[in-house]
Amino acid sequence: MKNQLKYRFIGVLTVAFSLGSCNGFLDEEVFSQLAPDNYLNTKEGIESVLTDGYARAANMNSNNSIYVLAPQEWPTDILYQSGDNVERDARNFIDFNWDPTITFIGNNWDAPYQCIRDANTLLESIGNANVPEAEKPGYIAEFRFLRAISYYKLYFMFGPVPLRTSTTGELQLARATDEEIKAFIESELIAATADLPAPGGEAAYGRAHKGAAMGYLCKFYLNTKQWQKCAEIAKQLIDNFDYGLFSDYQTLFSVENEQNEEYIWVRPAFASSDRSTANSWSNTAFPDNFAEAPALGVSYLPTYVNWPNEFRIYDSFYESFDPTDKRRNLLVTSYINSSGETVSLLGNDNIRSFKYLPDPGAQGASHGNDIPEIRFADILLARAEALNELNGPTQEAINLINEVRGRAGVDDLQLADFTGTEALRNHILKERGWEFYSEGHRRMDLIRMGLFISNAQSRGKTNAQAHHVLYPIPQAVMDSDPLLVQNEGY
Amino acid sequence: MRRILTRFVLLACWSLTIHHAMAQTTVTGSVTDADTGEPLAGATINVVGIVGSVTTDNAGSYNIQVSSLTDKLQVSYVGYQTQVVDINGKTVLNIRLALEDEALEEVIVVGYGTVRKSDLTGSVTRLGEDDFNKGAITSADQLIAGKAAGVQVVQNSGEPGGGISVNIRGVGSINAGNSPLYVVDGLPLDNSSVVTGSGANFNGMRTTRNPLNSINPNDIESIEVLKDASATAIYGARGANGVVIITTKSGAAGGLQVNYDAYAGVQNVAKKVELLGPNDYMNTINAIIDAGGGSDAQRVEGIQDGGTDWLENVYQSDAAIQNHNLSFSGGNERTTFLTSLNYYDQQGVLINSRNKRYSARLNLEHNIQDRFKLGVSLSTSYVRDQYVPNGMDLNERAGVIYAAMNYDPTLSLYDENGVYTLSKDMNIDNPLAIGNGKDALSNLYRTFGTVYGEYQLAEGLTAKLNIGGDVISQRRDTYVNRLTIEGNAAGGIASILQGKNSNYLAEATLNYNRTFENSSLNAVAGMTGQRFINDDFSAEARGFPADATGTNNLNLGDPTTHRTSSGKSINSLLSYLGRVNYTYADKYLITAALRIDGSSRFGTNNKFGYFPSLALGWKMNEEDFLKNIDALSVLKLRASWGRTGNQEIGNYQSMSTFGGGLKYVYNGTQVTSTAPSRIANPDLKWETSEQINIGLDFGFLQNRITGTLDWYTKDTRDMLLSLPVPRSTGFSSQMTNIGSVQNRGFEVMIATANLTGPFKWDSNISFNTLTNTVKNLGGISNIITGSAGSTGQIAIIREGDPLHSFYGYEILGIWQENDDFSVTDDNVNPGDIKYRDINGDKVVNADDRVILGNSFPDFIWSFTNTFSYKNIGLYVFFEGVNGASMLNNNMVDTYFPANLKRNRLAEPLLNRWTPNNPSAKYPSFVSPNAQGQKTVNSYTVEDASYLRLNTVRLSYQLPLKGNALRSATVYVSGQNLLTVTDYTGYDPALNPNGSANFRIDWNAFPSARTFLLGVTIGL
Repeated sequence: MKNQLKYRFIGVLTVAFSLGSCNGFLDEEVFSQLAPDNYLNTKEGIESVLTDGYARAANMNSNNSIYVLAPQEWPTDILYQSGDNVERDARNFIDFNWDPTITFIGNNWDAPYQCIRDANTLLESIGNANVPEAEKPGYIAEFRFLRAISYYKLYFMFGPVPLRTSTTGELQLARATDEEIKAFIESELIAATADLPAPGGEAAYGRAHKGAAMGYLCKFYLNTKQWQKCAEIAKQLIDNFDYGLFSDYQTLFSVENEQNEEYIWVRPAFASSDRSTANSWSNTAFPDNFAEAPALGVSYLPTYVNWPNEFRIYDSFYESFDPTDKRRNLLVTSYINSSGETVSLLGNDNIRSFKYLPDPGAQGASHGNDIPEIRFADILLARAEALNELNGPTQEAINLINEVRGRAGVDDLQLADFTGTEALRNHILKERGWEFYSEGHRRMDLIRMGLFISNAQSRGKTNAQAHHVLYPIPQAVMDSDPLLVQNEGY
Repeated sequence: MRRILTRFVLLACWSLTIHHAMAQTTVTGSVTDADTGEPLAGATINVVGIVGSVTTDNAGSYNIQVSSLTDKLQVSYVGYQTQVVDINGKTVLNIRLALEDEALEEVIVVGYGTVRKSDLTGSVTRLGEDDFNKGAITSADQLIAGKAAGVQVVQNSGEPGGGISVNIRGVGSINAGNSPLYVVDGLPLDNSSVVTGSGANFNGMRTTRNPLNSINPNDIESIEVLKDASATAIYGARGANGVVIITTKSGAAGGLQVNYDAYAGVQNVAKKVELLGPNDYMNTINAIIDAGGGSDAQRVEGIQDGGTDWLENVYQSDAAIQNHNLSFSGGNERTTFLTSLNYYDQQGVLINSRNKRYSARLNLEHNIQDRFKLGVSLSTSYVRDQYVPNGMDLNERAGVIYAAMNYDPTLSLYDENGVYTLSKDMNIDNPLAIGNGKDALSNLYRTFGTVYGEYQLAEGLTAKLNIGGDVISQRRDTYVNRLTIEGNAAGGIASILQGKNSNYLAEATLNYNRTFENSSLNAVAGMTGQRFINDDFSAEARGFPADATGTNNLNLGDPTTHRTSSGKSINSLLSYLGRVNYTYADKYLITAALRIDGSSRFGTNNKFGYFPSLALGWKMNEEDFLKNIDALSVLKLRASWGRTGNQEIGNYQSMSTFGGGLKYVYNGTQVTSTAPSRIANPDLKWETSEQINIGLDFGFLQNRITGTLDWYTKDTRDMLLSLPVPRSTGFSSQMTNIGSVQNRGFEVMIATANLTGPFKWDSNISFNTLTNTVKNLGGISNIITGSAGSTGQIAIIREGDPLHSFYGYEILGIWQENDDFSVTDDNVNPGDIKYRDINGDKVVNADDRVILGNSFPDFIWSFTNTFSYKNIGLYVFFEGVNGASMLNNNMVDTYFPANLKRNRLAEPLLNRWTPNNPSAKYPSFVSPNAQGQKTVNSYTVEDASYLRLNTVRLSYQLPLKGNALRSATVYVSGQNLLTVTDYTGYDPALNPNGSANFRIDWNAFPSARTFLLGVTIGL
C-alpha cells in the first residue's frame, strides 16, 4: 500500500518534471490574428489588406469624415465652428494660431502613411502571391494608386514629406525634396493609370480605376500650377469617359443618388452603429432643436443625433450667391424647431450647410452619404482655370464654367465680361466656392490663387502669416523621428 | 538515482511501522495555561511518532495510551507554543502551555518555502491580522495600504470594487506592467482583465476593476511583501515589481471554532468640490461676455426653477455597506480544515453603483501517513458589480461626474415635458440621464486553488507536487436606454461582453532541511509550468421595440445592428528554480537562489532568462561582544544582490501578425479588412532589474522597540518600451528593450510598545523615501506622453528626471494693465495668464516648457497606534504622502473650457481678474485659449501631498467568562476622517489615471467617508 502510494507520487512527479521536455510549451500560438508567412500568399489575404488600404485612404472612421474636411475649410471664408469640446481646437484653425500639437492634424498624417504602409507591404508580397499573373498588373496599379494619392494628400497638407517606398528600409527617414515628391506623385499616378481598369470596369465600386487616377493627376497639376498638363489631362477625362454633370445639384449628395455619373472618386460612407464608415456632417449641421427644414423637405428623425458641435456658414458667403443659384438652396437659413417655431439663422453667421442631406437610414451619428473627392464639375473648372492661366479668358474656358453654372440655374457668363486672366481667376474662385463648399477644396483653391493669407487678414485674422499655407508636422511625428525638420514658422 | 531514493524511502517507512506491535500503558494529567493556571479544554496530545491523539476535556484533563514510558508526548493548543514532554517513567503528567510569543516564533513565508524571521536575509515585510487595516476593506491590497514601507497603494477610484495600483519600490517600467506578482497559497495569480471592452455607448474606465476583489479579505492570515531581489528572484521573470504572498487561514487541531464577523455602516462623499451655483454662473458668464469673452447669443438669460446642483443629484448620500463573514475551523492531528462564507455589499457614493461579493473557501489538509500529506486550498466567489459611467472621457461618452461638473447649473432637472433637461451648449447628456439611463452590470465568477501532496522521501528531504488552477468567467451587460440621447436615437443599445481567463499550474519541488552540529542547511529545487488561456466574446444590438428586455433578448433588436466579436490567446511560462539557505553558528546566514524562466511572450532569440540572487546576513547580537548588552535583543545586518525580470507585456508583441483593419465600403456595403499589427521584434525579451539591498533588523529593551531599516537601489535595464518609431512607417511604436531606470529608497519600520501594563499603547511607524531617475533612453532625447480628454503631451520621460515628469508652462501670474507689454510678441491683454518665457524670445511656445513636478512622493509615512485598557481598545491610524504632484484635469477644464458655457470650479471664476479686481492669481477668463492651450502648467499641476487621519476604531470586548460564547467584541470605526492638503480636487490620494506614479485626476469617483458598527463573535 505504502509503496504503491509512493510510486504513484513519484510517477506524478516524474510526469510533472517531464513537462520541461515538451518543446512546444513555450511556442507562441496565434489564434485571433493571422501569421504573415502564409497570409499574403493568398488572393484573399492580398484583397483583405488592400481593403484596409482603401479604408485608410478614405479615412472615414468615427469623426474623421469631417475632421479631414475641417482643416480645409475652417481657416477659410466659408465655414467655421463653435460649440462643444471641438470649439477649443476649432478656434485655433479659425484664428490662425494653430501649432504642431493641435488635433485634426495628426489624423491627416497617420492615415495616409498607414495606407502607404499597406501599399508597400502589398507591392512587396504580390510577386510571390498565389494570384494569376494576368491579374497582377491590375493589383499593382491599385497599390501604386493608393500610395500616390496618400502622398498627394500629405504633400498639400505638410509640404514635402518622407518618401517611403518599402517596408524594409531604415525606420528614420528625412523629408524628400519638393522635386522628388512631386515627381513621385506624378509618375506613380501615370503608371497606375496605364494598368487600372476604365471607370466601371473596377471589381467593385470603391476600387480604383483610370478615371480616379487621372482625376488626381489633374488636381495635382492644378494645385502645382502645371497648367498645360492640367488642361490636357482634364480634356482626356472629359473626352475619354462617360462622366457628366448630375442633373439635380440639390440631391447630388444624397444617399439615393450615390454612384452617379458625376462622382469620379469618393470617400464612401455607409451608416452603421460602429461609425466605422460614417459621414458625420449632418450632426454638426442640425441647428438647436432642429425639427424640420421645409424648403429641403428634411425632417428630423428619432434615429438622428444633433450635436452642439456646430458647423456654421458665414453670412457673407451666403450673400455672395446669385439669389437664383440652386446651389444656395442647400444652405439652410431658417428652420422649424421642435416647439414648432420658425427660427431664422440669418444675420449672425449661423447658416447651416445641408449639402449632405440627412440619410433616412442614419444610425445615430452615422450617415451614409459618400463624400466626393473628385467630381466631374471639378475637372471642368480645373480645365477652365488652366486654360485661363495659359491663355487668358477664352470662350472654351467660359463654356466649361457655364456648363457648371447651367446646372445651378444661373445665367451664363459672357467672355466679354472678363478683361483678363486675373478677372476670370477671381470669378473661378467664387464659382468654385459656390460649387464645392463643404467638400474640402477651399483652402487649396485660396492657396493656389495666392489668397489664403490675404483673405484671412481681410477677415481680421491678424495672426495669419505666410507660413500658414502649410500645416506643421504634428508634434508626435516630430518627436518620433529626429531626421524630420519642421516647416518654417512653427 | 531514483532507485536509491525509493529504497531510502522504503527503509524510512518501514522503520516507522515497527513501533506498532508494542504493549500499552496509560498516562493521565491536565493541561493548563502557564500564566493563569486555567485549564485548557480541547488541547491535543499525541505520542511523538505515533498516529492518533486525544483531546483534553472541559477540565483540561486527558488520558492517553502509550507503548512505553520512555516515549515523548506532544501537546498543542491554538495560540500556545507546542510542547514536547519526556514521559520519563511518569504516569501522571501535568503540562503547562505558554502563550505563543509571536515575535520569537514568527515564520515568514517566502516563495516556495518558509524561514524563521530571525534567519531572514532578504527584505520581506510580513503583515499579520493585527497589522491589517481596520474598517471596511474590499480587497487584499487595502489590507496593507500604508502599512508596509516601500509599498505604495493608490486607489484609482472611490468606487466600490474600483481599481487599485500597487507599486513596490517605485516604478521600473514604462510600457510593461508595474504591479507586483500576487501569489495566493502557492498559486501565482493572473490579474489581467477578463472583459476589456466597456459596452457600446458606455464610456470606458481607464483602469480595470480590482481583480483581487474576488478574494475575501477575512480569509487572509498573513501577507508577505517580498521587496528585495534576493526575496523575489525566485519568481524570476515576474519578480521585478515585487511579490505579494497571501496566505489564507487554516484550521488547527482541536475543537470546532466558529467565528462570525459582521459590520454595517454608511458612506458619504468625504469632500465635495465647489462649482459655480446658478446665480454665480449666470453673473459670471454674462460678465465675461460683457468683457468681450463671448457673444450676446451666449448670454445666460435666467434660471429655471432655481437651477440644479448637478453634483448633489448624482451623489448617493448615506450609501450603505455591510459585510458578514462566517467561518468554521478545527480538526484533529491528522486532518485540519477551515471553511468560510462571506457576503459583502457596498453601495457607492454615486447613484446606481454597488458591489456585492459572495465567496466561500475550503482549506483542508490531511496526513495520509506520517510522511505523506495531501491538502487542498480552494476559493470560489461571485462578484456582482453595478456601476455608473465614470472615468476619463468626455462628450457623449462622459461619465456622471464630468457631466455634472460641466452642466449648466441654471437648468432645471426636468424640462416642461417632464423629461431630463438637455443643455444646448454641449454634446453631453443630462447627468441623471447618464446615471439612470446607462445600466451596467458585471457578474464575475472566480474559482481558484491548489491541490498539493507532500511526501517525505527521507530525513529532511520532502517532495512536493502542487497543482493549481484559476478560472475567472465574467459577463458584463450594458444597456443604454431611451432616457439618454443616444439610447433614444438608437432605440436602446444593448451589449454583452463575455470572457474567460483560465490558467493552470504544475509545480514539483524538492525540499531539503538538515541541521548539522554548528550549522543548518535548507535547500529547495523545482520546476514549474503555468499556462494562461484567455478568450472573449461580445455581441451588441440596437433598435429594440422597448427598453424592458434590456440585454436579455438581443434578437429583438434591429438585425442590421447586430455585431459580434471574439478573440483568444494563450501564453506560457516554464521555469526551473533553486535556492539554498545556509546558517553557520546561528550567526552567519547566506541565501543563494536561481530561477531560469522561459516565456512564450518573448522573441524566438530570447526565450529563456536567468535570474540569480545572493544574500548575506549577520546576527551581530549573537556575537560575544554584543551578547551581554541587555538592552540589545536583536541586531542583524543584511545585504543582498539579485536580478529579476518583468515580462508583463501583451501577447504576440515579438511577432508580426495581421489583425483587424478598418472597414471600407464596396458597392455601397461595408466590408472588413486586415492590416499589419506591428513591427516585429524577434529579439524581444524581459526587462531586467538588478537590486542591491542593505538592511538592519533591530530590537531593543526586550524587543519593546523593534524595527528594520533598508536601503536599496534598483536598476531596471532593457526596459520594455513601446518605442515611438517614425510615424511615416505607418506604425507609431515598436515594443523594444531599451534604456534604464533607477529607483532608490530608504525604508524604516518601527514597532514600539510605549506603555505596558493595564493601559497599553503600541505604535507602528512606517516611512520610506523614493527617488526615481531615468538613466538612459537608448539614444532618444525624450518621450512626451500622457493624455486625458483634450489634454495631451502631459509628461516627459527624459534622462536624469523621474519617469513621467509633468511637462508644461510655468505661470508667473496675470498680466496687469500697467505691465510692460513690449517684452512679448504674444497676443496678450491685461487679465491674461502670464507664462514664463524661458528662452526670452518674446514668444511662449513649446520650447518654453519646463518640468513642473512628478508623481513620485519624496516620502510616504504612516503612524498606527493601538491603545487598550481592560476591555476597551482604540486604534488610530494616520498616513500621509509628501512631495507628489498630480495633474488636476478638472482644473484644466476650468482654465481652458471647451467653450464658454461650461460650469467650472468656483474659486478661480469668482475671484477672477477684472479691471476692478486686478487679481494676481486668477485670469479674466475672457479669452482662455488666445495663447494656445497651455493646459499643463503650474496651476493645473498641483501638489498632492496630504496628511490623513485614515481610520479610528473603538472596540469593546464583552466580558464573557463561563459563557457559551468564546469571545465577543463590538466596535465602531470611522474611515477617511480628516485630510490636510492643498490639493483642490476630490482627493489627493485618488488617481483615476491608474498608474500609482503617473497621476492624473479627472472626473474621479469621489472617496467616501465611512462609519461602521461591527461585531466579532467566537463560539
